[in-house]
Amino acid sequence: MGLEDAAHPNPHHLRQRKGTTPQMVGRYPDYDVLEQQRHWDDATRRVVLDRVQNTPPFRFFARDEIDTLKAFCDVVTAQDEEPRIPVLAFIDEKLQGGVGDGWQYFDLPADGEVWRRLARGLDDEARKLTFESFARAPEEAQVGIVHRFSKAELSGGVWETVNVGRAWKVVMRYVGQAFYSHPWAWSEIGFGGPAYPRGYGAFGSPHLNEAESWETAENVHYDPVRDVRERGLD
Amino acid sequence: MLKGSLLMPADNDSAFLLDKHKRGLQNLDRMARYRDEDTVDLVVVGAGAGGGVLAQRLARKGWRVVVLERGTFWDPDRDWVSDEKGAGQAGLYWTDNRIISGNDPIEMGKNNSGQGVGGSMTHFAGYTPRLHPSDFEVRTRDGVAVDWPISYWDLQACFERVERELPVAGQDWPWGDPHSYPHGPHPVAGAASVAWEGARRYGIEMRVGPVSITNGSFGNRPHCIYRGFCLEGCKVNAKASPLITHLPDAIERGCEVRADCMATRIEVDDATGRVSGVVYVTDGEERFQRADAVAVCGYAIETPRLLLHSTSRRHPNGLGNNADLVGRYVMVQGATQTAARFPELLRMYKAPPPEVSSEQFYETDERRGFARGLSIQTIAPLPIGWAEHVISEGHWGQGLREYMRDYNHWTVLGILAELLPQSENRVTLADEVDANGVPVAHFNYNLCENDKAVIAFGKRILAEIWDGAEAQDTLTIDRYAHLVGGCRMGFTPDDSVVDASHRVWGVDNLFVVDGSVLPTQGAANPALVIMALADRAAGLLAEKRA
Repeated sequence: MGLEDAAHPNPHHLRQRKGTTPQMVGRYPDYDVLEQQRHWDDATRRVVLDRVQNTPPFRFFARDEIDTLKAFCDVVTAQDEEPRIPVLAFIDEKLQGGVGDGWQYFDLPADGEVWRRLARGLDDEARKLTFESFARAPEEAQVGIVHRFSKAELSGGVWETVNVGRAWKVVMRYVGQAFYSHPWAWSEIGFGGPAYPRGYGAFGSPHLNEAESWETAENVHYDPVRDVRERGLD
Repeated sequence: MLKGSLLMPADNDSAFLLDKHKRGLQNLDRMARYRDEDTVDLVVVGAGAGGGVLAQRLARKGWRVVVLERGTFWDPDRDWVSDEKGAGQAGLYWTDNRIISGNDPIEMGKNNSGQGVGGSMTHFAGYTPRLHPSDFEVRTRDGVAVDWPISYWDLQACFERVERELPVAGQDWPWGDPHSYPHGPHPVAGAASVAWEGARRYGIEMRVGPVSITNGSFGNRPHCIYRGFCLEGCKVNAKASPLITHLPDAIERGCEVRADCMATRIEVDDATGRVSGVVYVTDGEERFQRADAVAVCGYAIETPRLLLHSTSRRHPNGLGNNADLVGRYVMVQGATQTAARFPELLRMYKAPPPEVSSEQFYETDERRGFARGLSIQTIAPLPIGWAEHVISEGHWGQGLREYMRDYNHWTVLGILAELLPQSENRVTLADEVDANGVPVAHFNYNLCENDKAVIAFGKRILAEIWDGAEAQDTLTIDRYAHLVGGCRMGFTPDDSVVDASHRVWGVDNLFVVDGSVLPTQGAANPALVIMALADRAAGLLAEKRA
C-alpha cells in the first residue's frame, strides 16, 4: 500500500443514485439496503436503524482528542466529504461502554488508552512538521503520518510507550467495525444486509435464478482489478 | 411418539420440545429449581458443548444436576440479531479482558470464546468433523506430542450418537474412519463452488460438509434458510448448539440451568480431599452450591483459570495442579485464510460460511518434512470480517474502500492446521483482577518449527488452488482458530491433569469434561469431539454410580 493511497480523490464515476452511501460513492448505484428493512425481524431492525438514525454523543474522548482522531478516521476510511459515517462517534460509544473485544496485548495498555495515546502521538508528529495539530495539518502531511503509523515507523515520545504495530491493528479493528457495521457502507459494497426471516434463494444453485429480485446491477463501466493496479492501490 | 427415521436420536427429545414458531425454550416454566443448600448430585460449570451434553445424559439417568452458566439464557427471537456488530453487543462472545503474550499472541473474543447458554457453539461456524484414528496415537506413529489414553474406537459410537442429535449434514465421508451422515449435503453456493472447482483442478478431493445444520425434517427445528449469519447466533434454530440440541431435554428431565452465574471457586473439604461445591456470583451476590460432584466444562481458558484460582491447603497451587500441569499445553489451530477474486459476482455472504471441506492433507506425509497435517475449508466473512482481511494486508484509505467495494467478487478458503501441544503455551493468572476479584487469564503462545512448517505448507496449497481456479487477485490473512488443551487427559498423575475417565487426579469427585482435556487436537474443528467426549464421560460416570 503506497503513500499516495489516501491522496486519490474519491471515485466519483461511482456516483450513488439511490439512498445514502459514504461520500455518495457506490458500486451498486441503484441499491439501497435500507429499502429491504420490512423484511428484517424486529430485533435486528431496531439495532440496525438505531445506527443510522442516532449518532452517539461523545462521552469518552476529550475535545482535542476528538478533533485529532476524527481527522485520523477520515484519512484511514477516505472520507473526505459529507455524507460521512460518524466512525469516531461509534468508537467513543464502544470505549465508553467498557466492553472490549476480549483481549489485551501484554505490551499495550487497555484499548481506550491506546486511542488516547494515538491522539497525542499524531499531534506530536504534526508539530514536528511545524503544524499546529494533526487535524490542522494539510492532507498530504496527515497521509504521510498515517502511512508511517501503518508501517510501525513512528518512534520517540508517546510511541515508545506502546507496541506501534499492534496499536495500528487495535485501532484499525475499531475503525473497520464502526464503518462496515453501517448500512450506508453495505449499500456502497452491495452487501445484502440482515437476512432473517427471508433468507436467500439465489446463491449458485443452477436450478434457481442467479439474482434475488431485489438485487440491482453493478457499475461495470470499469474493471476494478485493472483500476486498483493503475491507481497504485494494490 | 413417532419420531421419523431410525436415525433420530433415541434418548434425546430436544428437537421435539422446541416450538416450530418460537426459537426460545418452551419448558423453562417447569424447570427444576434447587436450593444452594441442597446437595445436588452434580454441578456442571459451563453450559457449552461439554457441559450441555454431560448434563443431558446424567439428567436422563435421574441425577439432580445444576448447570452454572456465566452468560445469558438466550431466547434467539428476542436476543439475537442478523447483524455482525449486534451479535457482539448482545453478548455472544466472551469479552472479559484476557492478557495475551508470546511470539504469536492469540486474539480471543468472538474468534474463539463464547458465553451464554449453548457456549461458543452458538456462534461457531458449524463444521463438525470427527477426529481420525491416527489422532489418538501421534507419539507412536509420528514421534511427536503424546498418545491419548483412549483410542478412536472408544469414541466411535459417541461420534455417531452425537451426529444424530445435532444432526450433521454432509456427503459420505471418505477420510479417517469412513462414515456417512444422518442428513444429506446442503446445496453449494457460488462462492464455495468456485473454490471446489479450483481444488478439483489441482487434484484435491473435497466434500460437502460436515456441518451441524439441519437439511431436512428434524423434530420442530426448521430447515436452514441460507442467510449466512452462522457466526452471529442462528435465529432459525437450524444450526446446532446445546441450547437447542441437549438442554431442552436435560431440563425436561430435572436439570436446572442457572444462567448469569459466574463460578469463582471450587471448594475442597480439607479433611476428606473431596470437593464440596462451587462458589459463584450472581447479581453481585456470592453464593455457594453444594454438590456431591463437580464437572468443570469452562473450556481451555476458563477451566484452568478456575482450577488455578481454587487454592486450598491440600492444593496450594490450585486444584489438580500438584504436578504444575493445569493451564499447560493449550493449543490453537493454524487458520490462515486466502481470499480470491473472480470476475463473477459471488456474493459469499449467502449460504452458511461452512460448506465444502477436504481432509486429503490431514495425515502425516514424511515427504513434506513435518509431522501431522491440515484440513481445508470454505468460509465466508461478512463485511466486518472482510474488512479485517483487507486491513491485515496493509490497506487503508482509498485502498480499503476499493477492496471493500469489490466484496461480492471474492471467495475465501482457509486451512485448519494441527499445531502441537507445548508446555509453555499456557494459561496463568495475571496480576489484574476482574469485577469479582478473580485474577484474569494470561495466555502465552509460541509456534514451534513444526507448526510453522505445516502453516507454510497450507498457504502454498491455498495459493495453488486459487491458481488452478484462475483467480485474478488474492489476499491472505494469518490467523488462528479454536482453543483446546490446558487440562490434558493422560496415563499418570505426572503426565496429565485428568485420567481417562475425566477425573482430576487425586480428587475423587472432580471432573473436567470439555475441550481442555484434549492431549492433541488433530486438524478437526473441536465441537463434535468435545460432545463425543462428554457423551463417553457421562456413560462412565453413570456406570460408576449405578
